[in-house]
Amino acid sequence: MSAVPSLTWRAPRARPAPEPFRGGAAPDEARSSGADRADATVTLELEGLTKAFGATPALDAASLRVRAGTVHCVLGENGAGKSTLCNLVFGAHSPDAGTMRLYGEPYAPQRPADALAAGVAMVHQHFSLVPTMTVAENLLLGTGLRLRPPRRELLGELDAVADTYGLSLDPDARVDALPVGIRQQVEIVKCLLRKPRLLLLDEPTGVLDPAQIESLMATCRRIAEAGHAVVLVTHKLAEVARAGDEATVLRGGRVVGGGPLAGIAQSDLVAMMVGRRVAELDPLLAAGLGLEGARPEGVGPEGSGADESAVDAAPDGGGPPAPGATVPAAAAATSAGAPRAAALAVRGLTVRRPDGTTALDAVSLTVARGEILGVAGVEGNGQSELGAVLAGSLRARSGSVELDGHDITAAPPARRTRLGLGVVPEDRLHEGCIGELSVAENLFLARLADFRRYGLLDRRALNRAADEVVAAHAIRTEDSRAPMRTLSGGNQQKVVLARELALDPLVCLVASQPTRGLDIGAVGAVVTRLRDAAARGCGILLISSELSELLAVADRIVVMYRGRALGPVRTGEPGARERLGRLMTGADA
Amino acid sequence: MTAPPRPAAASASAPGPGASRPDADRPDTSRPGTARFSPARLAWLRSPVVLGVPAAAIAAGVAVLLVIGSGATPAEAGQALADGMFGTDYAIGVSFNGVAVLMLIAVGFSVAHRVGLVNVGGEGQLCLGALAGTAVGVKLGDGLPRALGTPLVLAAGFAAGALWAGIAAYLKVRRGTSEVITTLLLNFVGIGLVSLAVHEEALLRQPVTSSETLPQSEPVASSGRLPLLDAATSPATIAIVVAVASALVVAVVLRHTATGLRLKAAGRSAPAARRAGLPVGRLEGGALAVAGGFAGLAGAVLVATAPYVLDEGLSSGYGFAGLVVGLLARGSLTAVAAVALLLGFLVSGGINLQIAAGVPASTVQVAQSVLVVCIAGAMRWTAARPGGGAR
Repeated sequence: MSAVPSLTWRAPRARPAPEPFRGGAAPDEARSSGADRADATVTLELEGLTKAFGATPALDAASLRVRAGTVHCVLGENGAGKSTLCNLVFGAHSPDAGTMRLYGEPYAPQRPADALAAGVAMVHQHFSLVPTMTVAENLLLGTGLRLRPPRRELLGELDAVADTYGLSLDPDARVDALPVGIRQQVEIVKCLLRKPRLLLLDEPTGVLDPAQIESLMATCRRIAEAGHAVVLVTHKLAEVARAGDEATVLRGGRVVGGGPLAGIAQSDLVAMMVGRRVAELDPLLAAGLGLEGARPEGVGPEGSGADESAVDAAPDGGGPPAPGATVPAAAAATSAGAPRAAALAVRGLTVRRPDGTTALDAVSLTVARGEILGVAGVEGNGQSELGAVLAGSLRARSGSVELDGHDITAAPPARRTRLGLGVVPEDRLHEGCIGELSVAENLFLARLADFRRYGLLDRRALNRAADEVVAAHAIRTEDSRAPMRTLSGGNQQKVVLARELALDPLVCLVASQPTRGLDIGAVGAVVTRLRDAAARGCGILLISSELSELLAVADRIVVMYRGRALGPVRTGEPGARERLGRLMTGADA
Repeated sequence: MTAPPRPAAASASAPGPGASRPDADRPDTSRPGTARFSPARLAWLRSPVVLGVPAAAIAAGVAVLLVIGSGATPAEAGQALADGMFGTDYAIGVSFNGVAVLMLIAVGFSVAHRVGLVNVGGEGQLCLGALAGTAVGVKLGDGLPRALGTPLVLAAGFAAGALWAGIAAYLKVRRGTSEVITTLLLNFVGIGLVSLAVHEEALLRQPVTSSETLPQSEPVASSGRLPLLDAATSPATIAIVVAVASALVVAVVLRHTATGLRLKAAGRSAPAARRAGLPVGRLEGGALAVAGGFAGLAGAVLVATAPYVLDEGLSSGYGFAGLVVGLLARGSLTAVAAVALLLGFLVSGGINLQIAAGVPASTVQVAQSVLVVCIAGAMRWTAARPGGGAR
């Protein structure tokens, strides 16, 4: 009995990834294992869980069951209540109503420590590692007050984790020297060392490149195979396709659907998440969301069969047409026409990191007016520094930046803004806006002089002007006087974008990862705004790690690889995606 | 992928009926033992009033113990303390003068606090303000009208305090040196400068005529002295009016002007403020200089109040007490006024405690410190969000 299902568990790649989404034609194997799973232990059971912050319920009578040995996906747009659910289970918040049961026993954590003691561990969206310490030191941090840190025991446990889950770490590496994907593995191992019965992963893929996502999903499967339960909270459907057994979809704090993934078509999941049919979504946009699980070739960890099947199966997966087929044609149509004036010209930009390594190596690129130039690349190849230099928060060692003919290489941010350079910073909460200030204050922070009355700040006029922007950009907030941090990520980004697009004149917009962490609806809003701005003659430099999104939106794409700008590749060219994939991995460099 | 099964993990993990619970041997720790004390039900405990009463009780208890230890009865000591604080018109006047000084320093602290800086240099800035106030004050002609002389003394104090803090501001903005360190260390330089000035005849020391000439300055000319509120009965000067007016102006600027909002923005997120084009360095430097200015003003107020001379014991820790007021008020100007009132009266009561009841005045300082520790600890608790979500 135990051998048959465990075979199906242990071989995620033997399970044809796209097939469970075909609804009717579900494979027998998946079905039967689903039936077996019905008998399996229920790890976590939530009944009528309700939590309100202020007047609005973040979670409204949510119920779900997570079975041992499964990866359970909690899907939903930002603000649907996913994070609230996680925080309730992890004990960071207490529910207003409803009950939780863990392995059949009542479970009411008052604080994260209770959750950890009960065998529930959580990997947060933002990592909690000390960057200047080694991996081993970070892992030893939570072991309590001892005279001697139990280092030898730790190494033994690490070996066991490597054996069981295939996660091997270098215990002596310093965390700040590790790429973000490995840091996340450290976080996961930190959780696994506590031998959890239930592992929560909150939006784990936001910062990962495709190869890292692939290995994370494999890890999730292995943890489930070991008999634990994994709750994967995400808004990206492609991940669900790769790792999930069951799903629960949240919208507006309510559970709107779910069940074994074998029985749900992917388009139905999208419909449940956003509350409308896939067909009503902008096809270009839907292509950029990875709905079909499409991803660039050549960047997979070991060129595994699962990627290929996912990509191959995309066109008949019931979703919108694959990007390769229609997107470049449409993008080429928008970019056709006479050569246009340069909005932004970057020449020979070189930047060194504090540790002496080269972040940008003689980068030159030109953004024409009305053009969207995409910047692709695996995280950490200089995109962040490029955005920072253009925003004026990082000094270049050499090279020049020209905006509409004005040299802004060393200009302070205020002058850049005055000349018409809009910037959507990569780190929204750190640089893009100020969480403690209100939406209105954030919108007009740079233009407070316009709201002066008798020498004082005219808050009424400020809030009125903000109300108009909030309405025009469909920003969901109770009030323009609400603190920025109370907004969801997507709405915060809408505020930042509204502020930058309101510049007059607006010559060029530099948007760094503007859709990171946003849900489908918000991505659509952001992309539409960017396209509108380009159509009005603004040049747009779009730095993104989502290649599909870039292919859907940009006219040309340059690839950042080890600080150099490779390309550009016109998205209209045949085989653009393949070429970009090779550039991103350095195969063509 | 057909890896060989990991014996231990695989057998436990098989989701069959036999192995229903992977960690069956794990002790159950998920019992909801603490559910009755839900944070919502205890919320009323977090109100400042509820927290303030036990804090005051603890401080009073400590004070009573110290009083008994020094051989007086609590009743005597209480009487002496009350007399010192508001027993006579004279006592009340002296108390209000102390309150004004504390308030000015705390008002300045609040300005710097708004932009995220901690000014611990109140003492040094106060010394420099007192030096400058004295230097100007002793030179004023007696014929000058007071409406001109007094503002000159005060302005000199403000300017000197601002310049002194400006050193720290420059280092902070240009070199990134922590203002906590620089302002703290500049305190000792400031205190030293006062000492030097009152010992050197070439500087501010009064002419030495005998061996009994005290190391202090000549008195400030009458045209530079602060007018009394009610000359007949009380030594209270218009200092308290100056302090309250300063608090009001600062409150309006911080809350209702673009400058106030810019300061707040720079304080909450310097990178975001910089991105929005705000001159973060200038805001930080300016706020720190203004903080120093108010401390310097407090120093000028001290030398323009009886006995109108600068000496080494001039400050007697006002700078640090003002810092405590600012820290406890946490940016609220109303709280600055309230806390300054409390601490100012306690300090002047403590002096009488020593004179009348023979209890060391430091008893009050100890009780005050206990109060501060209790309130600060309680504030941490008040600020904590229910449910323990630390971020």
